[in-house]
Amino acid sequence: MSPRSIPPLTYKVVAECSVTKARAGLMTLRHSEVNTPVFMPVGTQGTLKGILPDQLIELNCQILLGNTYHLGLRPGIETLKLAGGLHKFMGWPRAILTDSGGFQMVSLLQLAEIDEHGVNFRSPFDNSQCMLTPEHSIQIQNAIGADIMMQLDDVVKTTTTGPRVEEAMERTIRWVDRCIEAHARDDDQSLFPIVQGGLEVPLRQRCVSALMERQVRGFAVGGLSGGESKHDFWRMVDVCTGYLPRDKPRYLMGVGFAADLVVCVALGIDMFDCVFPTRTARFGCALVDSGQLNLKQPKYKMDMEPIDKDCDCSTCKRYTRSYLHHIATNESVSCSLLSIHNVAYQLRLMRIMREAIQKDEFPHFVREFMKRHFQSDPIPAWIREALAAVNIQLPADQEKKDELEEAPKAERKQEPTKSMTQPAATS
Amino acid sequence: MKFAIESITKNSGRLGQLRIREGGPELRTPLLMQTTKGGSIPWLSADVFESHVSQKPQVLQFTLSTMDQMAEALAQWNSGDRGVSDYVGFPGHLNVLLLRDPCETTPSGGNDRDIQPLFTRRGRESLTPERYMEMVASIKPDIYQGLCDADTNAESAKKRVQKSVDRTEKFMHYIYEQRGKVPSTLLAPIVGGYNTFARTQSIKHAREQPAGSYGGYILEGFHTNGLTATTVDTDKLLPIVEHCVKQLEEDKPRLLPGAFTPLTILELIAQGMDIFDTSYAYCAALNFKALTFCFVQAGEKQVPFLDVTDDANKENFSPLLKTCSCLTCQKHTRAYLHHLYKTNELLGPILLMVHNLHHYMAFFETIRETVAKDKMPELMELVRKQNGDAQVDYSIAANTKVITKATMGKGFAAAAM
Repeated sequence: MSPRSIPPLTYKVVAECSVTKARAGLMTLRHSEVNTPVFMPVGTQGTLKGILPDQLIELNCQILLGNTYHLGLRPGIETLKLAGGLHKFMGWPRAILTDSGGFQMVSLLQLAEIDEHGVNFRSPFDNSQCMLTPEHSIQIQNAIGADIMMQLDDVVKTTTTGPRVEEAMERTIRWVDRCIEAHARDDDQSLFPIVQGGLEVPLRQRCVSALMERQVRGFAVGGLSGGESKHDFWRMVDVCTGYLPRDKPRYLMGVGFAADLVVCVALGIDMFDCVFPTRTARFGCALVDSGQLNLKQPKYKMDMEPIDKDCDCSTCKRYTRSYLHHIATNESVSCSLLSIHNVAYQLRLMRIMREAIQKDEFPHFVREFMKRHFQSDPIPAWIREALAAVNIQLPADQEKKDELEEAPKAERKQEPTKSMTQPAATS
Repeated sequence: MKFAIESITKNSGRLGQLRIREGGPELRTPLLMQTTKGGSIPWLSADVFESHVSQKPQVLQFTLSTMDQMAEALAQWNSGDRGVSDYVGFPGHLNVLLLRDPCETTPSGGNDRDIQPLFTRRGRESLTPERYMEMVASIKPDIYQGLCDADTNAESAKKRVQKSVDRTEKFMHYIYEQRGKVPSTLLAPIVGGYNTFARTQSIKHAREQPAGSYGGYILEGFHTNGLTATTVDTDKLLPIVEHCVKQLEEDKPRLLPGAFTPLTILELIAQGMDIFDTSYAYCAALNFKALTFCFVQAGEKQVPFLDVTDDANKENFSPLLKTCSCLTCQKHTRAYLHHLYKTNELLGPILLMVHNLHHYMAFFETIRETVAKDKMPELMELVRKQNGDAQVDYSIAANTKVITKATMGKGFAAAAM
């Protein structure tokens, strides 16, 4: 059988959690197999800040994200075409996903205006008038050659209300047809439509059912993680995964905080991306289960432990918090060292979730994770509600004893003592 | 520390064997030390260095000006059997502690009778001999240099040169007296700018010390580090170095820090210098230059550098150097390096440093073979003309195109769609 007769994306559910909506899957792309749920590190301009492709492979990273807006500017379509696509240009043999460029236009460029044709913007460099249409976005993404590409969507601020939200949702559906029409490499690249609809359940439902009528190999959930309340956030994710088909991967755009990842996996999301792990590394912060360590703090000066003694990344194997404290934000190598650790952290968290789902121990993992993550802090109400919606009841917080007098005492007292035995990562 | 001369050649300098730690690896001179910043090889994690540059034991060149703030933590760390190399992520590697960072130009001034200025990231700190020895005791390097005033160059007035010698002598009185309190091997500093009289005086002071006071020499005061070392006038430098070498004990290694050009390095080795550092490879990478000079006979005509900032690289998908086997040349193209420069991405200097170190370390391998065969004049001729007709220029001009916040807009405009 010729390789071309295999679709460029196949997805298969490997295991499903018997309690929540979480699932483990295997996505096979032209450049790599991808085990889901997956976190995709963001390599905006054809490189993941300070990390060699070989190091990413060593971390078993299977898929990276590239930004169409940035890559379209530099190196530009012509150079990418001559190079034979982004994979070859950057020396990354595994899978890549690109966004549509639309989000950057709206978030980076204040002057962007959207009409039926596309996104109008003034170039920030020479102030010329430019237009990104659905066709143009696809043309750039075809040149980049990523395994998965995104439709251009009509992005509105998550806090927008009223008819503009519905208009954006309807337009996103019209644009997906233009994107599908313009897509010239459907044998190699898979185009994902994006579910819009703001924070309104009926709009989200309508959008999902309209997009499901199209021939696509996976779906993205967009328009979230942009300043809306966490209560709205999880409900929209829950609504979307409730309606999306079981047999196709679901990508939640721009989400990457550890607690959010755990909740959204429980809600049935398969793919995530976020700049947070690498961005926070540049400011000297290292991710651990209890949150993040700001290594610049004086208390780490004499701390001769690794960032996380259970982490097997090359940074934790060799370097102490004390040394990292001294070089963080001073020597640029610190950015590479912390990025390696933070990407390793994200990838390991996803791997542990996949394994838990496969063993059908995911609810147990979630409860243990939340205990480690929040330690003695109260677990936010939205996380309790979101998890309760997928049948995971978290134990009550110690602090909330007064409000929960009806709950059996023994149960309440046991849990917090356990959490106290967790390694005190910040002391 | 043990140093043994293996052979002294007629035209090519000398070969030696250096064992820094008992039971440690035996290193061969002429030796290339790895220059570091804050204890790390610039831009490269220990993992990247060992996976993609070299797995052989290295001598790390630490500088107090980039590591002084670690002294307190190191005092605690070193109480176990771990050393400063372990602390910076290079267990098993050896180290030498210098005062000044050879990668950056050391500001002039701030010298005083009783204190030596130390230029750190935070600005100028004052170092007394007492404080210096305390810090050496905390950091516990394998080798450390004596405290000296090296604020001289070819232009220094006689008075400044004399002061550098006098102050160094004064500092060293204390250091020699106290050296027994630290287990590290001391390098005697030789200063005196380009003045033969002053140099002789400085050497005399070192040689007056009882046998075993120090294990080697460090010659400073020829330049003020950073790019200034790439432009030293060899017509002035070589006679004064020759003058010094004659008076130095033969059985002790001679260290000369700084980003001298490859050609100057060869001249210095021929004069009998033994130990150098990689700051030249760093200075080139910092200014987006990939080292491409050839040092193997029968090569084609070659240029000293490839300037990654050159727009001609935009769509050039060949490696930096065709004949190179480093990770950068095996897996990446000029076009990609150019893109990383344009986008100010951290991977750019990482890949350049991998290549430059690989190239420069291979150069030193060739140097050792050349000294063994006493073929230095031939190698000098090759390095000087690169198979062309005229002497090539190895100096690194500070690249005005180096991306700063101010010039970022320019880079964007050129490539805007």
